[in-house]
Amino acid sequence: MDSIMLGLLNVLSPFNLLVIAAGTGIGIFVGAMPGLSATMAIALLLPVTFGMDPAAGISMLASLYMGAMYGGSISAILLRTPGTPAAAATVLDGYPMAQQGRAGKALGVSLTASLIGGVISSIALLTVAPVLGKAALSFGPVELFAIAVLGITIIGSLSSGSPIKGILSGVVGLLIAMIGMDPISGTPRFTFGTMYLFNGISFIVALIGLFSIPQALRLVEKDDGVQKALSSFKDKMLPTFKELKSMIVTILRSSVIGVFTGLIPGTGGDTACWFGYNEAKRFSKEKEKFGTGHPEGVAAAEAANNAVVGGALIPTITLGIPGSSATAILLGGLMVHGIMPGPTLMTDHALITYTLIWAVLLSNVFMFAEGLLLTRAAVTVTKVPNKVLAPIIVILCVIGSFTISNSIVDVFVMFSFGILGYFMDKLSIPTPPMVVGMILGMMLDISMNQSLLISDGSWMIFITTPLPAILLFIALISVLQATPIFRIIKQRLKKIAR
Amino acid sequence: MIENVFWKKAIMSGIAVSLMLSLTACGTTSQPTATPSAPKVSDYPNKPIAVLQGFKAGGGSDQLAQVTQPYLQKILGKTLVNQYIPGATGAIAWTQLAKQTEPDGYTISITNTPMLMTNYLMNAEIKYSIDELTPIANVVTDPGILVVSKDSPFKTYQDFEAYVKANPGKLTIGNSGTGGDDFFSILQWEKATGLSVKMIPFEGDGPSWQAAAGNKVQASSTNLGVVYSQVKGGNLRALALYSEKRNELLPDVPTLKELGFNMVAGSSRGYSAPKGIPDDVKKKLTDAFVEMAKDPAFIKGLQDSALPIDIKIGDDYGKYLKEQEAVFKGIWDSVKDSIKK
Repeated sequence: MDSIMLGLLNVLSPFNLLVIAAGTGIGIFVGAMPGLSATMAIALLLPVTFGMDPAAGISMLASLYMGAMYGGSISAILLRTPGTPAAAATVLDGYPMAQQGRAGKALGVSLTASLIGGVISSIALLTVAPVLGKAALSFGPVELFAIAVLGITIIGSLSSGSPIKGILSGVVGLLIAMIGMDPISGTPRFTFGTMYLFNGISFIVALIGLFSIPQALRLVEKDDGVQKALSSFKDKMLPTFKELKSMIVTILRSSVIGVFTGLIPGTGGDTACWFGYNEAKRFSKEKEKFGTGHPEGVAAAEAANNAVVGGALIPTITLGIPGSSATAILLGGLMVHGIMPGPTLMTDHALITYTLIWAVLLSNVFMFAEGLLLTRAAVTVTKVPNKVLAPIIVILCVIGSFTISNSIVDVFVMFSFGILGYFMDKLSIPTPPMVVGMILGMMLDISMNQSLLISDGSWMIFITTPLPAILLFIALISVLQATPIFRIIKQRLKKIAR
Repeated sequence: MIENVFWKKAIMSGIAVSLMLSLTACGTTSQPTATPSAPKVSDYPNKPIAVLQGFKAGGGSDQLAQVTQPYLQKILGKTLVNQYIPGATGAIAWTQLAKQTEPDGYTISITNTPMLMTNYLMNAEIKYSIDELTPIANVVTDPGILVVSKDSPFKTYQDFEAYVKANPGKLTIGNSGTGGDDFFSILQWEKATGLSVKMIPFEGDGPSWQAAAGNKVQASSTNLGVVYSQVKGGNLRALALYSEKRNELLPDVPTLKELGFNMVAGSSRGYSAPKGIPDDVKKKLTDAFVEMAKDPAFIKGLQDSALPIDIKIGDDYGKYLKEQEAVFKGIWDSVKDSIKK
């Protein structure tokens, strides 16, 4: 209890407040830049924090993480290019809203949902972290496989319109995920003899290309007609009480999904936004509205990705297990400060840990305030002529894809995916299923192989363990939902009742 | 009209190129004026030194860099600038070091075993070899360690061994990935004991020990520095250490040598330069490591980070790399056909 209060006092020191405010602001800014992700920003800023007091440095990085999760939605909504991979699902409803002249509302919904998601996850972090942290250890290969399968079913719901084209896109994504060294035998697959493909294709690089380059090309192709609707920023930003009430269930559901997705090692905001979006659509009575500019779609994705921050930090601080790629870098930062990540973080380094937790909670407040200010300014982006905006997007994509591993090969990969995305767009093949396939493909591959190694090749392992069995059952139902089976059964039941 | 534009562009680019050339010429002509005054005694280092890291910021290499480099900077009097070039388990950075780097001592790299050697032993696509490097110094060797979950039925190494003897090829043991140090350690152990286990590769040390802690696999072969805090915190139990002698961090954990198997394994991290750096530059660098190793503050810094110090300077480090290469080649040749089926 003492350390909780000491942490609060520590975080309220002027320097720490300044650092958190700065971190959040940088986060929103970097997040809003297409091509620059939260993980990358944390990696870039990490060496800067080496000179700081560990508590302040880590707090700054964590608040940057929180800010970037909201920031990503700004460009997703205004430019149709997700600022971070975690905002990819926000594009689906955010950009249509902006086209309808409701950009302000979309950003307001995003900010509110981010705030609620972030606060819920911070409270979970502060109160039930030790209990939930243990849960991270219960996710082994078998469980991860089931989660990946469940995630793959999202492809189905993202393929509205033409299921065949959606599935095609998803399968290509899964195949792309197979590029690189085989995780079990170490044999390079589809690498064409170049070691630059040994680690596979980074889905972040592919996503930058797939979403941003086609949009830059579209901007050049189109005249400035679309912009008029965007620049009329007259609607009220924050959602009214009534609007909020209609979305609150979705936001809360997404927040819980976000916390748990964050908790699971290996999955982060990039996965959570799709899970949140998918579940919101599943439970909605107006499924057909999703993808056409439905505020609930924005709220679902944005609450989920901000809730990941707290969720991913839970196993990070209780066990020293990073819950996402961004928290993995945070842990690295702690190690560099000479703090051994592990169970001792909560005891030996309680002051730093609790300062960090309070900083995460506070960063939500800063995010909301700074978000309101910055967003107003950000909308002016839409007043920039297309022929100026498009090259800027391309430059940011080049910088973003290069910075991930300081590799020029990644820039070429990004452009290749950009061209692919452009033609997919022309053929109206949706790109989101491909991204989902790429994110989950690697996880599916390695977890399935590990599980089968453990079980001596018996597939029963997936059914005989309770949690995976339940998850796979849900996945099966999701697949069946897309077929007429349920409707037929319902009709039969009605007949029998009569 | 079109031709006009073309010529304009051609002239502009011509001017640009000649400007660049003259600038570089200025750069090169100004240098010789400095050297004649001191022909043999070089002023190395007179500019920042780049340190290539084959892994991401915040990883094990970075940890070593952050602990070591403040001391090196003080001794050498110049800053060391980290360049992170992750990919292909370090091979992209090391290929760059061996093939594309000027051997002037202004670009060095953190070199990690066994990946430094196993990369090219296992993949024909990777072309560098340790013969194209100048080993400067090893700094840390993180010994391998065998861990099980805190509620595992194996209380001691003897329990573990008895189980494996009774159930050949049944026990699941996690490693940090095919071709990693733990992968080779388990193979070495199998060879030394004549026993066999079921190896489950993970993506890194973290997922490997986490699977053991969560009872997803029955044991994990990993590194002391990685799991020390988990062993201390009670999430894992250490059964055996693969080092020469016991470690003061975990004095109760026996070594495999004590248990009767002549086996030492682990992963080490040091610094190397490209082949062919001038002798005086090499001496400056190796001397810097010798001096650093005497600094008690440096030693304490390593201890605080649970990084077991293992200084090997210059040719000693080169010899060590050569020996390791032979060991890994032997192991890999004996198992590669069964793994790459």
